[in-house]
Amino acid sequence: MLLVVEQLLNGLQLGITLFLMSAGLTLVFGIMQVINLAHGSFYMIGAYVGATVTLYTGSFLIGIAAALPASAVCGMLVEVVVLRRLYNREHLDQVLATFGLIMFFNELTRIIWGRQPLFMDVPHWLSGTVELLPGLFYPSYRLAVIGVGVLVALGLWLLFSRTRIGMQIRAGASNREMIGALGVNIKLLYTLVFGMGTALAGLAGVMAGPILAVESGMGESILILTFVVIVIGGIGSIRGAVAGALLVGMVDTLGRAFLPAIFRYLFDSTTADGAAASLSSMAIYILMAVVLVWKPQGLFPAHN
Amino acid sequence: MAKILLEVSNLLKSYGAIKATQDLNLKIKKGHIHALIGPNGAGKTTLVNQLTGDIFPDSGRIFYKSQEITRLKDYQRARLGIARSFQITHIFSNLTVAENMALAINARSGHNFHFWRNSLKSKSVRQNLDHSLARVDLEHRAGLKASHLSHGEKRQLEVGMALVGNPELLILDEPMAGMGSGGTVELSKLIASLKGSVTILLVEHDMDVVFSLADMVTVLVYGQNIFTDSPDKVRKNKEVQTAYLGESTDA
Amino acid sequence: MNPLFRKYFCITVVAIILAILPIAASALGQEYYISLFSRVLIYAIAAVSLDLLLGFSGMISLGHAAFVGIGAYVVGIFFYHSAEMEPLFIHPFVVQGSENGLIVIPLAVLVSAIFALIIGTLSLRTKGMHFIMITLAFAQMIYYFFVSLEKYGGNDGLSLYSRSTLPGLDLGNDLQFYYLCLVLLALFLFFATRLVNSRFGIVVRGGSNNERRINALGINSYFYKLVCFVIAGAGAGLAGALLANQTEYVSPGLMHWTLSGELMVMVLLGGLGTLFGPVLGAAVFLLLEEFLAMYTEHWMLYLGPFLIFVVIFAKRGLYGVLVGGEKSNG
Repeated sequence: MLLVVEQLLNGLQLGITLFLMSAGLTLVFGIMQVINLAHGSFYMIGAYVGATVTLYTGSFLIGIAAALPASAVCGMLVEVVVLRRLYNREHLDQVLATFGLIMFFNELTRIIWGRQPLFMDVPHWLSGTVELLPGLFYPSYRLAVIGVGVLVALGLWLLFSRTRIGMQIRAGASNREMIGALGVNIKLLYTLVFGMGTALAGLAGVMAGPILAVESGMGESILILTFVVIVIGGIGSIRGAVAGALLVGMVDTLGRAFLPAIFRYLFDSTTADGAAASLSSMAIYILMAVVLVWKPQGLFPAHN
Repeated sequence: MAKILLEVSNLLKSYGAIKATQDLNLKIKKGHIHALIGPNGAGKTTLVNQLTGDIFPDSGRIFYKSQEITRLKDYQRARLGIARSFQITHIFSNLTVAENMALAINARSGHNFHFWRNSLKSKSVRQNLDHSLARVDLEHRAGLKASHLSHGEKRQLEVGMALVGNPELLILDEPMAGMGSGGTVELSKLIASLKGSVTILLVEHDMDVVFSLADMVTVLVYGQNIFTDSPDKVRKNKEVQTAYLGESTDA
Repeated sequence: MNPLFRKYFCITVVAIILAILPIAASALGQEYYISLFSRVLIYAIAAVSLDLLLGFSGMISLGHAAFVGIGAYVVGIFFYHSAEMEPLFIHPFVVQGSENGLIVIPLAVLVSAIFALIIGTLSLRTKGMHFIMITLAFAQMIYYFFVSLEKYGGNDGLSLYSRSTLPGLDLGNDLQFYYLCLVLLALFLFFATRLVNSRFGIVVRGGSNNERRINALGINSYFYKLVCFVIAGAGAGLAGALLANQTEYVSPGLMHWTLSGELMVMVLLGGLGTLFGPVLGAAVFLLLEEFLAMYTEHWMLYLGPFLIFVVIFAKRGLYGVLVGGEKSNG
C-alpha cells in the first residue's frame, strides 16, 4: 500500500514536470499556431545553466534564479529571430526550421559543456526524506518539486483568470482573430507568451537536473512526452495540459512500477518481464491512441 | 407553366439570437435563372449553404424534383445534380487547369483508385475534357497551373467544374465578386449561354447583371423572402426600393 | 533553357553519374564510395516516399522512420530465426526464418504497409498539428517497443552475418548490391511519377490544396489520403529492408524520430513535391554529413542554421535551383 502511495507521488512529480513543459507549449500552439519542436531545447538550456551556476555558486536557488531568465531570454531571442518569420507559414516549414534549432542547440551545448553529462547534486537542505505516512519516507527534493509545480499551476490559474493580460492570452488561444480585435500589441504579446513558456520549460529542466543527468539531447525525450500530453489535453488548453500531464505522469509511472508484478502473476516470468517492459514503455502512447479515437480534438479542446 | 425544380418551405435557421433564415419560402422553376439579392448580412450564403447541404436548417423542408432532400449530405445532393460554386473561389491552385477539370470529370465516374494511368488519359476525361474547357473558354489555358489564372479565369474554371456532369441545378454564389468589368462581361455571357439548359440560382450583388439575366428575382432581407417576382416588377416595387435598392438606385 | 529540357538534362546527368560511379570508384581503388553511395540510394528511396506525403498530399508525418525501421527489422528478425534455426512462431501455423531476399524484402514492404495502414487509419482522424504530433508519437511507440524487445537485442539491435540471398546475384558483393539499390530506386521513382499524375494522384494533390472542394465533388478524401500514407509507408519499408542489408545491422535507432526529421530535411533540401529533388537532397545531406564530419566534429552547428535559412528564404530546394522555372509536380 505504501508502495502505491509512493508511486502515485512519483507519478505526480512526473506529471508536474510535464505540466511545466506543456503549459507554455500548448499556448504557443494555440495562440501562434506554430508547431515548435525546439521547446525541449529550452528545458535543456535551463538544466545546463542551472547546473553550471549551482556548481559555481554552490547554491541551487541561485541556479534556479539564473536558469529562468536564461531560458526566457533564449526563448524570446529565438521568437524574434526565427519563429516570428514562421507564423504565417505552413506547419511543414515550422517543423523543419525548429528541427534546425534543435540541431543547433544540441551541438552548441556539446561545444560549451562537452559530451559528458553533468550531474547535479540535490541541495543539502533538501537531501533528506520526509515521513509522510507512518513508514513512508519520501525524498524532500521530490516533494519540493511537486510543491513548486503546484504553486506555478496556481500562479498560472490566477494569471489567466484574474488579470487582463491573462484573459487576452486565453482569448487568443481559443479564438485567434479575437486578439487583434482587442487592440493588443500582438507582436509583443507573442514574444512574452513565448518567453513565459520557455521560462517554464527552463524551470522544469533545472528541477529535473538533480534527478536526471544533464546532457545534450535531453530535451527531446521530454518533448515527445509533452506532445502526448498536449494531444491528450487538447491544443491551446491549459486545463487540458493539467489533465493530460497528470494522466501521462500517472500512467507512465504506475505502468512501469506495477505492470511487471501484475504480469508475473498472470504469466510465466520470462514472457511476463518482456511483455511488461514493452507494454509499460508504450502505455502512454496507447493511452493517446485511445483518447484520439474517442476524442480527436483532445479531452478539453480550446477551439470550438 | 414550367415545373418547379426546387421548393423551400418554412425554412428556419438561427445562430443564437440571430435568425439567419426566417420562415423562408421559395420556388425555383425549371429552366429559370433565379436571382437572389439582398443587402449584406441578409442571409444569402446561409440559405445557399442549406440548399447544398453544407449546413442543415433548424426546421422547414427542402424539396428537389418533388423529393425531400432536407437531410441529405452535401455529396449526396451533388450526386442528385445540384452543383455549386463558392463565394470564395474554390479551385485546386496547385493543379493545372486540365487537372482541375479532370478531377471534376472523374468525380462523376466511379472511384479514383487508379494508380498508374495518367489522369488526363482516362476514357471519360478524354471524352469530356475538351468541351468542358471550351464551354468556359479555357482550352488555351489547359496546361497552366490554376494559381496563374486571372481572377476571372479562376471563376470561369470553377463554374466549368460545377457544370461537369450536367447538373440540373447550378447554384452560383456571387460569381462576380471581386472581378473587373471585363471579367464580369465574360462571365455574364457564359451564364446567359447556359440559360434554358440548366436551372441557375444566382446570388449576386451586381444589379445590372441580375436584371439583365434573371427570369425571376427574390429579395432577401433579414433572412426573409420579402418579395419574389419578375425583374421589372422588383425594380418598381416600393418596398424593395426602401429595403434594399434605395441605397443603390443611382448605380 | 526551357525548364522541361533542364529537368530531363539534370535527371540524365544524375542518372549517368550514379550509373558509372561505382565503376569509377573501383577503378580508382576507392571502394568506400560504393557503400557510401549505396546508402545515398537507399535514403533516397525513403526520402522520395516521404515526399509523396509532404510534397503531394499535404500530410506532414513526423514518424516516417518507423516504417524504415519496421522494414529493416523484418529482414533482421527473419535472418535471426534462420540463423538460429528456430521458427518465428508456430501458432496458428509455422513460420520459419529466411535469408531469401525474394521472400524477406517483399515481406518487409508488406509489413510496413500494414503498419502504415493501422497508424494512418488512426492518425488521419486528425488534421494539422495533431497529425504531426500523432505520427511522431506512434513512431516513438514502435521505437520503444523494439527497445524493449530483449529477444532481438533491445537497444543494441541485431547483427546480421550476411546479406539476403537473391537468385543470380551476390548481394555480399558491394557492386552488385549498389546496382540493385539503383534499379529499385529507379523503379520506385518511375512508379511515384506515374502515381502523382494518375487519377488517384490528382485527387490526393487536390485534397492537399482544398479538401472541402474535394468533398464537394462527392469524393471522400480520407480513403485517398490513407492509401497514399500506406504507399509511402511501403516505400519506406523497402528502404529499411535495403538498409538492413547494407549495414548488416538493425537497431531501434533506425526508427528514432531524429531520422524522421533528417528524412524531412532531405526532402526539403532537394525540393519539396518534385520526386527527383529528394534524391539530390539525400545525396547532399549524407555527403555533407560525411565530409563536414571530417573537418569539424560540430557540423550540426552549421547545418541547423543553414536549414532554417533554407526554410525561410529558399524553399524551392536544390532541384528548383537546378531546374529553374516553377515547382513542378513530377
